[in-house]
Amino acid sequence: MLEARLPQASILKKIVESVKDLVSQANFDCSDSGISFQAMDESNIALSSFLLRADGFDPYRCDRNLSLGIKFASLSKILKCAGNDDVVIIRYMDDADILSLVFESPNNERISEFDIKLLDIDSEYLSIPDQEFECKVKMSSSEFSRICRDLMTIGASVVIDATKEGVKFSATGDDGSGSVLLKQSGSIDNEGRGVVGTSVEMVEPVSLELSLKYLNNFTKAAPLSDSVAINMSNGIPVMFQFDVGDIGYIRYFLAPQIKDDD
Amino acid sequence: MGIHGITKIITDHAPQAQKTNEIKAYLGRKVAIDASMSLYQFLVAVRGQDGQNLTNDSGETTSHLMGMFYRTIRMVENGIKPVYVFDGKPPTMKSGELAKRSDRRAATKESLKEAEEKGNQEEIQKFTRRLVKVTKEHNDDCKKLLRLMGIPVVEAPCEAEAMCAALAKSGKVWAAASEDMDTLCFGAPILLRRLTFSEAKKLPILEFHLDAILKGLELDKNQANLGILLGCDYCDTIKSVGPKTALSLIKKHHNIEEIIKNLTEKQIVPEDFDYQQVRQLFLNPDVTDPKEIDLVWKKPQTEEIVKFMCEQNGFNKDRILKGIEKLEKGIKQSQQGRLDSFFKVSSEPNKNKNKRKNDEKLDKKTKVKSTKAK
Repeated sequence: MLEARLPQASILKKIVESVKDLVSQANFDCSDSGISFQAMDESNIALSSFLLRADGFDPYRCDRNLSLGIKFASLSKILKCAGNDDVVIIRYMDDADILSLVFESPNNERISEFDIKLLDIDSEYLSIPDQEFECKVKMSSSEFSRICRDLMTIGASVVIDATKEGVKFSATGDDGSGSVLLKQSGSIDNEGRGVVGTSVEMVEPVSLELSLKYLNNFTKAAPLSDSVAINMSNGIPVMFQFDVGDIGYIRYFLAPQIKDDD
Repeated sequence: MGIHGITKIITDHAPQAQKTNEIKAYLGRKVAIDASMSLYQFLVAVRGQDGQNLTNDSGETTSHLMGMFYRTIRMVENGIKPVYVFDGKPPTMKSGELAKRSDRRAATKESLKEAEEKGNQEEIQKFTRRLVKVTKEHNDDCKKLLRLMGIPVVEAPCEAEAMCAALAKSGKVWAAASEDMDTLCFGAPILLRRLTFSEAKKLPILEFHLDAILKGLELDKNQANLGILLGCDYCDTIKSVGPKTALSLIKKHHNIEEIIKNLTEKQIVPEDFDYQQVRQLFLNPDVTDPKEIDLVWKKPQTEEIVKFMCEQNGFNKDRILKGIEKLEKGIKQSQQGRLDSFFKVSSEPNKNKNKRKNDEKLDKKTKVKSTKAK
């Protein structure tokens, strides 16, 4: 069986909201180390993966490895019934075909219980190699959302150029073009005051063209974290990572656009 | 047409070889399409309100152009890179099948006459549809249109599906698209069906994987043998050998030579059962070497398309222009890379058999639950 108590329902709510428009369903893999899933969008362009480590729950119990197929639309609806400060208890009894979600209000005066039907999902699993990226950018997640939103008004794709100076986002469309340059902030002590600066760590300058439609989808995870890490290498999928406190993360992989010459 | 009963055999014995997918899932894929088959579909299906084919001012049919234009745009919009393969000469071995078809045509013509005399509209439509024939002019029109649209056209020396299969086998394209299961006998590693169907039908695309079929049926590479026994376009089948018997015979004897030696009295080999030659046709079909074919997708030539479609064939200019716009947008989209070309796809890591319920069981339980709730 699985029983996991998450002190803050809002975390789960935000996670589900940030993936439900990208992928419709996924198998939640539960083991003694935590809960995770990996799912690709139907065009095979983007992948979303998430992990909540067992120590983020209190308590956490998972006797054997489970794979629970869940439709995000249903899960999202159910989670809307939970208050942000509610405690969530996720419970699965062995061989059942439902997953139970219990929400307890902070003062423990209101307890609601919902069951969600599990699905049999035959999903393909992508094995992502552990790779060293040529360039790692860390920046404010709200800034990232804003840039993606702004550039979407110009074009359908954005070119991200990362150099020692900083990172530049540019888009070109039928009616014009636009770009935003973020310079590397001099000091990191900004972070203490709630302002996240931009940092670029690189072996090699990187330039990639990415679909803004997808990026705007990823930015839905911005409420989970103040900062986003963008890990890039030329010619391979980009990884965006939003940390969920220190208990887990949500990652998005996006295949770059390729200039056709093969 | 095609191979009798093969789909059922696949569903029964190799379910994992068949997948259904939305058209979106094929983004970025290059696909070789059997054009003759599509043309035929368009001529049958694309009709005006009166049930007649669309025509231009001079009364020539234009249904095929309409179909070719919009279905191609639909594919490109979804990021697919299509290549159309046209038939060359029919192989001599097909003459038997072709003769049968022309006999059937003659019979249908008779029925049509009869229906017309009686004035039975439904019957008239049914029979006119059956009489649809793809002419050389239709083919030439479509080739012209496709070239203007910047879509590569390949002219097969012989059968188009054989050429499609060869292109897929060589890796020039990812899959072959045809309704004809023969394509698998020609060795196409992946076959897509329903790709050129209308969007309105809302039918998902069927995807067949040859290696999984062979594995599921416990066959070696010789898919052609099974095709011949089941019945293809090129020769008659052995009497009283249906799909089931055919499969078990092949598993037992491995090739047709042995099977013929071990037939029962009832199972009679037809006259001129030239299986060796047919097998040759499947295994070494008359195709152009894919290495010599260069597939290039170009920008559409807007002015030329308008001239051809609107001025010569009477299509609405605004609609055609809109179509071209979609086409251009789609071409850009097809530059999007796919994750599975970077990361290896595997089935799930910790697959848990216990929790997998079959749908029937799940339905039952839900029903029980909902009645309880009331």
